Parts: sequence; structure tokens; C-alpha cells
Amino acid sequence: MEQRLLSLVEGQTPAGEPQYFEQLCRAASRAELEAMTAALEQFRRATPNFYHRVRAIFFLEAIHRYFLPPHYAADNAGSIPFEGHQHALERRFEEAIDTFLRHQREHGASDALSSALAAAYHGLEFKTLATQVQKTVRTVRGNQWMFRTGHPLDYPLRLRAELLPPGGDAPAPILFEETPVRMDLSHAGWSDIFFLGMDYPEGAKVLNLSIDLGVFGRDQSTRPPVCAFLRVIDEPVLRLVSVDLGASADVASLADLFDFAKDYLGLLKAAVIASGVVPSGLEGSGHDLAEILARLAGPGRGLEIVSQVRDIPKGSRLAVSTNLLGCLIALLMRATGQTGALTGELSEPERRTVASRAILGEWLGGSGGGWQDSGGVWPGIKMIEGELAQPGDVEHGVSRGRLLPRHRVFDEAAASAATRQALQDSLILVHGGMSQNVGPILEMVTEKYLLKLEREWHARLEAGEILRGIVECLKTGDIARLAELTTRNFFGPIQTIIPWASNAYTERLIAEARQLLGPAFRGFVMLGGMSGGGMGFWVDPAEKPRARELLLDLMRRTKRELQHALPFAMDPVVYDFSINPRGTHAQLLTGDRALFSPEYYLYRVPAWVRQDPRTLPDAARRDLERFLARHLGAANNSGLSTALLHRLFPPSTAGGSQRAGQSLRELLDENGFDPLQHEQIRADLLAGRIGMPQNRLPVSATVEDVRPGDVVPLYSADAADAARGAELLRSGAVAVVTLAAGAGSRWTQGAGTVKALHPFAKLGGRHRSFLEVHLAKSRRAGRAAGCEVPHLFTTSHLTHEPIRAFLEKHRNFGYTGPLLLSPGRSIGLRMIPTARDLRFQWEETAHQVLDVQQEKMRQSLRKALLDWAVKTGEGRDYTDNLPLQCLHPVGHWFEIANLLRNGVLRDLLRDRPQLKHLLLHNIDTLGADLDPAVLGRHDREARPLAIEVIRRRLEDRGGGLARVGGQLRLVEGMALAREEDEFKLTFYNTLTCWIAIDPPTPTAWPPPCARSPRACRRT
Amino acid sequence: MPFRVTKALITAAGPSQRRLPLQTLTDRDGAQQPALAIILDELLAAGIEQVGLVHAQGDRAAYEAVLAPYAGKLTFIEQAAPLGYGHAVLCGREFVGRQPFLLQVSDHLYVSASAKSCTCQLLDLAEAEDCAVSAVQPTHEGQLQYYGTVGGTLVPGRRGLTAIEHVLEKPTPTLAEQHCLVPGLRAGYYLCFFGMHVLTPALFELLAAEQQANPGAKLGLSPALNALAAHEKYLAAVLDGRRANLEATFGLLRAQIALGLSGSSRSDILALLAEELALAAEKQPARS
Repeated sequence: MEQRLLSLVEGQTPAGEPQYFEQLCRAASRAELEAMTAALEQFRRATPNFYHRVRAIFFLEAIHRYFLPPHYAADNAGSIPFEGHQHALERRFEEAIDTFLRHQREHGASDALSSALAAAYHGLEFKTLATQVQKTVRTVRGNQWMFRTGHPLDYPLRLRAELLPPGGDAPAPILFEETPVRMDLSHAGWSDIFFLGMDYPEGAKVLNLSIDLGVFGRDQSTRPPVCAFLRVIDEPVLRLVSVDLGASADVASLADLFDFAKDYLGLLKAAVIASGVVPSGLEGSGHDLAEILARLAGPGRGLEIVSQVRDIPKGSRLAVSTNLLGCLIALLMRATGQTGALTGELSEPERRTVASRAILGEWLGGSGGGWQDSGGVWPGIKMIEGELAQPGDVEHGVSRGRLLPRHRVFDEAAASAATRQALQDSLILVHGGMSQNVGPILEMVTEKYLLKLEREWHARLEAGEILRGIVECLKTGDIARLAELTTRNFFGPIQTIIPWASNAYTERLIAEARQLLGPAFRGFVMLGGMSGGGMGFWVDPAEKPRARELLLDLMRRTKRELQHALPFAMDPVVYDFSINPRGTHAQLLTGDRALFSPEYYLYRVPAWVRQDPRTLPDAARRDLERFLARHLGAANNSGLSTALLHRLFPPSTAGGSQRAGQSLRELLDENGFDPLQHEQIRADLLAGRIGMPQNRLPVSATVEDVRPGDVVPLYSADAADAARGAELLRSGAVAVVTLAAGAGSRWTQGAGTVKALHPFAKLGGRHRSFLEVHLAKSRRAGRAAGCEVPHLFTTSHLTHEPIRAFLEKHRNFGYTGPLLLSPGRSIGLRMIPTARDLRFQWEETAHQVLDVQQEKMRQSLRKALLDWAVKTGEGRDYTDNLPLQCLHPVGHWFEIANLLRNGVLRDLLRDRPQLKHLLLHNIDTLGADLDPAVLGRHDREARPLAIEVIRRRLEDRGGGLARVGGQLRLVEGMALAREEDEFKLTFYNTLTCWIAIDPPTPTAWPPPCARSPRACRRT
Repeated sequence: MPFRVTKALITAAGPSQRRLPLQTLTDRDGAQQPALAIILDELLAAGIEQVGLVHAQGDRAAYEAVLAPYAGKLTFIEQAAPLGYGHAVLCGREFVGRQPFLLQVSDHLYVSASAKSCTCQLLDLAEAEDCAVSAVQPTHEGQLQYYGTVGGTLVPGRRGLTAIEHVLEKPTPTLAEQHCLVPGLRAGYYLCFFGMHVLTPALFELLAAEQQANPGAKLGLSPALNALAAHEKYLAAVLDGRRANLEATFGLLRAQIALGLSGSSRSDILALLAEELALAAEKQPARS
């Protein structure tokens, strides 16, 4: 068994043996699985092959996460040693694994320990892979010198003479770079992820197009979506300007340059460093930036570097950020003589250097995508393919593939001009409006690839076949067939590998577009890592103008319907696009042409105008004069003049503020805001009487695990209890209360959607929301008992109206039982946190340490937040946002009080006097269920409250069931003075609880109220 | 036909070079003479029979005045217009004819660390290897902006010899790392030209072809040397000695010190330096 497993790790599977890891694991007993983990552990430590080692670690994680847990008995006891957890938090994953394995040898295997091992192996996998990629990027030839240049005397770059100011009043020349973005018609199953390309270069292939964009209905023509400018200035600083973000700074020290999260200029800073203009080796050297700039451009001189994204929103799936980084790096490399030509296109080796430095820049900025993302640096249509590492390569002997792929730009034979035109005429490129983090998807793809799961592996092979078909279509000019293939790719391999690449919004758009356009609809193409943002619809070219209008309307309509359920960042747009034939391209602007873009001046001029003319630097004055003469003096400048006037005199917002202020007050009044309590909280908070540190138990408190008898074991159903519960259900003695007041959610990466409405997964062939799933469970329980179960959803100011409208639109999903909404009756107004609490949160509680660069980003961000809190005023009301965002629900337990305050429970009891128990649970606790056996036991115990607890696994953090000072208590993790105390606790609180209702007094009921959700609308 | 070098070209036509070779220095033997005369003495001592001096328009008289003792062995070649270093070399085509030749710059002096002069070492190597050889020196990447740089592979069994594959003119470290890494050097060091080459007449053909392809454009030497590496066997040799660049900041001073320390006045120079250091130290405030 072990030998077969190791053969799989090494990619050798003898005929007749199981070909897939999961087949082997599913057939194995617990003893066999444990033997496999021992063999893998030994193998990974001994093998010299990097990817064999990594795959073995992935196998180990999967066995502990998926295959061993079902073999543990339900009452399997086990604990996790805190020491191991601490190692994992500090990213010492090897030490953590050693600690967990030692604990396993001494105390036996357990579900809890397997969860800890799985987490540690997971951390080790990605740390190992990321470290290898970073090491390779650093050792790529052409990049190494930047890491060893640590002294100005060793600084080797000089600015090209053409860029030096000519003297007198003549303006300094400006170097101007424009870069297209990239669009992929197929990435063959995310095969451009570095880890895949470096292990399986034969399968790493992407068909990548460089495109110019314009927004349909706004822009007259298409143009490269990103551009950058550089000129020499007479101050020894790096003046960084992001026109689109409206941010600028004069960076005068190396410390500021390497501080990426201090402002919105992190990308520009990363480009300055990754291009070698300020080499990485100078970080922390203590030298003056002015000294470096003097060597680069001459004493007393500096550089102004300007970046601009031409109104392309985030989440376009067109790698706008990476191509902007590539654009800036190309610009800076040209300026410092690191390219052959100052202007024009780049050579192939130069493009490769730019691509490798863009990878480096992304790592410096704590982000990262795939290797196709800098595709805009290249021209036209190209196949990007992984390459086998050869002797002499830094990757040779470490990975099968090279870090950087090969770019093969298609010539006329591979894609004729007519085909390119037909492609442009047939594809409608859109931004659907959703903006999501694709990072988790890339992680899942990596995991599934390295485990070589059967279904996913076949899907990957099919994706490769589809890509070959697409290439053939480009050769033959068959765009209709190409559209079929990209559609098959989306519904086939892409969703087989990652179902979350699709979503309810996208699938609805496709279905309705197909219906609306009829035969003119040709297909769909997903761009980048996931759908919902940048996407493409293939149509009959003759119908493109009509289809464009229809699609825009369809997207806007659908977005309005789903905006509370899915994370939308903007209104949908349709793009005009054209294939860019030259890739990144530069020109030198001299004399009268030495000007930045009009948008630059729209951003800068208002500040100059407001400045005292006597203090305005000469350089700025000359800039202003040239801009006024060149742009405002021109005949066709009416748009620019208007825009400038709007910048100088922004439309008054006083009325808006007033409305917003009233609205906030109204919201507070409507939702039960208690101003007296609010002021008391503020006073207590500022006086230090309450706060996060004060929320902790005293250090002297004894925290122990529960004793026998504290928890009622329900690992198997008791027949008598089940019968008792079934009878209670049948008699209508139970109602379900689902807590649905929350907005931010891990399901949407924190985006402000209504969690209850989020269509989180495809079940039974379509996407379902949490709300629908919980109703389905209540319906099933009711049918089994022969009685309709009342179901209540608690709501808040953020969720009430969307949930009500959603239920109305979907006619309660056919739920025939009582369905009620319980609107919030308690609300809090957010306050600016105190520096004391922020410091406590960051410094006194344990956190997962991140990758070096990400950790730097986090530290920088924390410093900025701390400064914000102090400057804005600790404990002040937070009102600098939309009124709805300034409020917060006050906590789960207020929902029970709300049931009393809003009369919903009263009305329910009037209709159902037999009601005796409530099952209360979180909206995303999918395991919460009206289990008759649990209900029966709760009733038999005759306690007011029963809490469902589960045996803790590592991910169940945040407290648990404990005896504190001898008293049984559900304690929050933050309340524990010693973090290690949490690791003593066997049970974790699910928050699913059963609540007994005191018998009602019938004479006290006021008149009845309608049962439908509509009747519960707030007044 | 044996590979024997009897002719040398010295270039002195660069805008910044025009007066430097005429600066007077004290040679190894304590005699005062122009820098160019020191170079000529080393060349002639190494067996060079005829020297062609490429100078800028109007400079001949100044050179003739100080180099009268070498009149019989010296040919003056005028570069009519400043069209690049490659063009200056091409001006010597007729003088050299169809035989290998030594090419040196006039603003460098060479100080050998052995009994054999640097010129002599290079000529011996070229004749032994029967091919073009450029003298090189390991140079830190911070100085790449001043020199032509070579990349290639070590010649097996021949210490200090590299088979040249690429020649880049003043590369950035980015390019140097990609094309000019040579095994055996310290990290961040590259083989940069020493200002002394033995070249074959094939170079003139490459320069002429380039001139024809881009008439009127400045003609560099490094692109032609890069082409030469692809055309024939071409080696780089690390000599047992060092260069003193007169053009660099304090270049003349350093050249003088280097010459003095390698000659009969070594102890006088050392004493002089020690005295200067002591005087300078006296003026510094004492550290607490």
C-alpha cells in the first residue's frame, strides 16, 4: 500500500494499480491510512526532489483532513498541544508537525490532532512553494544584482542622457509608456499558476491576447488601458503620482519607499524597487535616497513617476494591476539604460525581464497572480507555454519547469488579420460588476492539481484539448466553433476543477442572454480566475450592436436584483476592445510636447491654484502655464475646461450631507438606538473601564475542561428521545429561529452582502442561498412530522428589506408553514476604536504570522490605522460613511430580546399556544437541524437552554465550554487570559441552541398580527 | 603563416583624450616623459615595430612635438570627424594591412605585477593561442557603466583565459547578468576590457560592413567585437597586472603612484605617501 502511494507521489503508476490517490485512500482502513502517513512523512524528509517532497506534504494534509476523520469514533477524545499551535502561528510548520506527531505517539491519534496536522501541513505546503518561487525570482539572471547592491558607491545605474533637462526654461523631457492589458481565451485550468507551470510545464498553456479598451458609450476609441510617465525634477525626491487613485507623495527616504501600505502608492513603490532604480539590497541600509538619486540623475535631482489606469475598474479579470506594474517597470528600465532602446517596442529578452520583475514586484507588494498576467507587455495574440528547465537554469534540478514561460506571438498564418477582425466583431467584453478575491481559487487549484484527483485531472486534460481546439479555430478562422469551445470550457473543465469559478449571477446572465438573443447568441468565455467581473459573450457579428445594448440592460437589471446577495463593486459596463499589435510601447515627449496626460493636470491643478502663488515652486508654475497654453488654449477643449471647473469647484455636497445626517438619525430612531447607553459606553471606554483588555478574565481565574456529566453525549440517537421529539414536532411545539442580521461574511470575503441571501453553492443543479437551504430543512422536518414548522429569520437594518423582498419574489420558496421576520430592535452606532484596544488586538493576542512581505504590509497598515484612530478621535462616533455602514447590530443575544420587543414571538404564541421550544442557530450553520432525538432529550432534561457543542478541531477557535473557577461557562476566546487555556477545552460552542419557552398567560395577549413577512415590515 | 604581431594602433582621438596622453609623468626609472611615450616604450620593448597613432583633426602638431624621438616608428593617422571609437579604429585599416595588430588606448597606463610587461604578456598569449585576444580585468558591477564587458566560457586547463561569446558596451548589471557571467569570479564582478587587444584584420571588415549599413552613424567597437566573437576564435585574458585610467577622477595621480611604486623610486614614493598621510592626520581633530 505504502509503496503504491509513493509511486503516485513520484508520478509512476504501474499498470493495474490504482491510478489516483483518492482511490487508494478510500479503499484503505484506518490502520492502512496511518501507515501511509508514516511512510509519506519519512519519504518527504528524505527525498531530494522538490516537487516529490511538496506532493507528499499535500498527500499528508489530504489524509488528515479528508480520509482519516471518518475513521475516528464520534466520541473520539483528543487534544491539540498548544506548543505546536504556537509554532504554526510563527510559521515554524516543521516544528509544529514534529510537536503534533510526538503528541500523537504519546496520546494516540484523534480527530482534533488530525485537524492540527492538516493545518500545519497546509501551511508548510504553501510556504515551501512560495519560498521556492521567490527564490527563483531572485536568482533569475538579471535580477540578482538588485539584492546585493547595498551601498550607494556600488549603485550601478545612470539615467539616460536623453532624459536630462536641457537647461534654461525648456521643460524636462518626459518618457511616456503605454501598455495594453491581457485577455485570455483559455488558461487550460489555471495552468499559469507558478506551482503548476514549474511542475507540469507540458500542461501549462495559455492563449493570451493583448487588448486596448474603451468603455462602450463613453469613449470614442480604444487605447491601451494603462500608461506611465517619467521625468527628471530639481528636487532630490521620488515624486510618485497615481492619477487614477488621486494620490501623490514626495518620497524622500528609503524607509518611506519600502513602506508599501503607508499610502495608495504601493504599486509605484514596488515598480521603483523591482526595476532596480532603488535595488532591494538597499532596504534598511540607512543610506539616503538623495545619495542614490544623485548617482542616478545628478546631484539635487529626483524623478517624478506618474501612473494612470484609464478608468478601468478593479476585478476586470484583465490583469490591469500587473500590466500597470509591467508598464512602470518597462518605463523605469528604459530610463536607466536597462533596455536597448529608449523608445518603441521592447525586445523579447527585455519583455522577459520585465515579466520576471513584475513577479518580483507583486511579491514585494504582497500580492501575486499567474505568469500570464504580464501578457500585455507582449503584442497581439500569443501562446504562453511552460518550458522544461534545462541544465544551467536556476530551476534545473529543483523543478521540472522554468519559472518563466515562453511566449510565442502568433503570426498571420496562426491567426490572420481577417480572423482577428472576426474575433473582435464577435466578442462582447463586459465587466459584470462583481469584484472578488481570486486568491482562494488559485490555492484550491494548486491543491487539486498536486493531489491529482481523478475528476479534476480528467478535466485538466480536457481543458488542454479545448485549448488546442481554440488554437486550430484561430488558424482556420472558425470563430463560431471557438465560441462553442470556450463555452464548453466554462461549463465543463473549469467548473469541474473549481465549481466556485461560476456563480448565480453569471449563470443567470448566460441563460437569459441565450434566451434574449436567440440564434445570435454564440457562447460565453470566462476571463481570468473566476466569473462575475470581466467576462465575454460571443454573438453573431451582424447582431453585435443590438446584443451590446441588450447585454448591458440585462446585466444592470440582474445586478439590481442580486446586489444584496453577491459582492458587486460597481455597475456593469460593456467594453469596446481591439487587439493591440505592439505590446508595451514608449515615446519621448520633448519641447512643447513634454506634458503629462490631461487627467494628471486635472488632479494637480486644483492644489496648485489653491496654493499661495508666492510659494508655488517655479517648476509647478511652468507646468501650469504649459498645460493652460497647450490644453485649455486649444479649440476643442470644452470637455477639459468643464472637468477642470468641476475639480476646482466641486458640486456642493452640503445638501447631501444634511440628508445623510437625517437619514442616520432616522435609522437610529427606527432601530432602537439607546443614546444614553451609547454615551455610557463611550465614557466607560475612554475611561478604560471597558475595552478589550478589560474583557479578559483575571489571570488568577482557573480555567479547566468540563467534567463528566457537564455535557450530555448525543453521539447516537436514543429511540425514546427520538419518539418524544417527533411527537413534539408533530404537535407544533417547536419553531426555528435563524439569525440573519449579518452582512459581512467569510463567504463573500467580507463584502457587504446579506449573508442569508448569498447563493453560496450549487445544490441540486442550481445555486441556493442559505435562506433557501434552511427553509428546505424545516420543510423536510415538518413533512416527516406531519406538521408545519414555524420558521423565523431575525433581521437587521441592513438585511430586513432585502430578505423581505427576496422571500416575496420567490414566494417563500414554496414554504407553506408560518414564515416570519423578526426585525432588529437594538442598534449600535460605531465608534472610532481606541488606540489601546487596537494595540491590544494586534499585540496582546496571538496571530498567524504571514509571509515576510505580507507581514510588512500588515505592520504598515496597522500603523496607518492607529494613526487614523488617534487623529480622528478615539471613541468618537463613526459617521464618515454611508449611514447604513455607520450602524452595527449589537450581538446575537439581543435577537431574543428583539423577539419580545417587536412582538413577533407574542403573535406566534397567540397563533400557536402549544409552542414550547425554539431552535436558534446562525445563518451559515448548515448542520443545524430539527433532530427529533436532540429535541426529545432537551425536553426531557427540562432545562431552559441547551447548547449544542462539538468536539474541537483546530479551526474551531474562539473559546469553548469550560469550568471557570469551578463554574460551567461558555467562554469567549478573547476572554481567556492565557491562550493555552483554550487548548485545554474539549468542546466548542456551535451557537446552535434549544430554548424552552415559559408557558404563556393567554389573557395577556394583545390582538393578533398577520403572519406573513410583509406584516413584519418596520414602521 | 605564424601569428606574429608587429604593428600597433593607439587611439587618441576621443574628445576627452586629446590632451591626457601628453601629460608628463615620472616613469618607473625616474625619468619625466609624456604618458604616451611611456606607452610607446612598453610597446616597442615588447617587440612592436610600427605604431599608428589615431588622432583628432588638428592634433598632429602637438603629438609630433613631444614624440619626435619615435619619429621613425610612428605613423600619424587622422580621424577627420568624431564618428565613434570603432571609426577611429577603422581609420587604421590601411596602416595595419592584413595582419594581426595590437590595439591600445592612449589614456591608460599598464602596471605589470610580474617581470613581463602587460603588453608583452598579451602578445605572447595571442601568438601562442593563434587568435584574437582582449585583455580583461574583473570589475565590480558598479563600474560597468565605464567599460566594454565580455561574457563567455572558461578555456579548459588554461587559467585566466575565457572564450568570448558576447561583448556588450557599458552594460547595466541586468544585461551583464544575463549575458556576461563568467565562472570563477566573485559575485557582482565581470570581465571588463583593459584597453588592450590583439585583433585580426577581420575586425576591419566587420566595422566597414557596419559603417556601410549605417552611414553617418557613430561606430562603436564593442558591437564589432561581439560580431568577431561569433566569427572566429576570440579569447579574453586576465593579465598579471593592472590598468591606470588617466581619464578617471584622480586618474593621473593614481597612475603616477602606481608607476612610482612599481619602479626604482618605490621607497621614495612610500615615504612621500606616509608623510602626506601623517600631515593629513594631524589636521583632523582627535576623536574622543
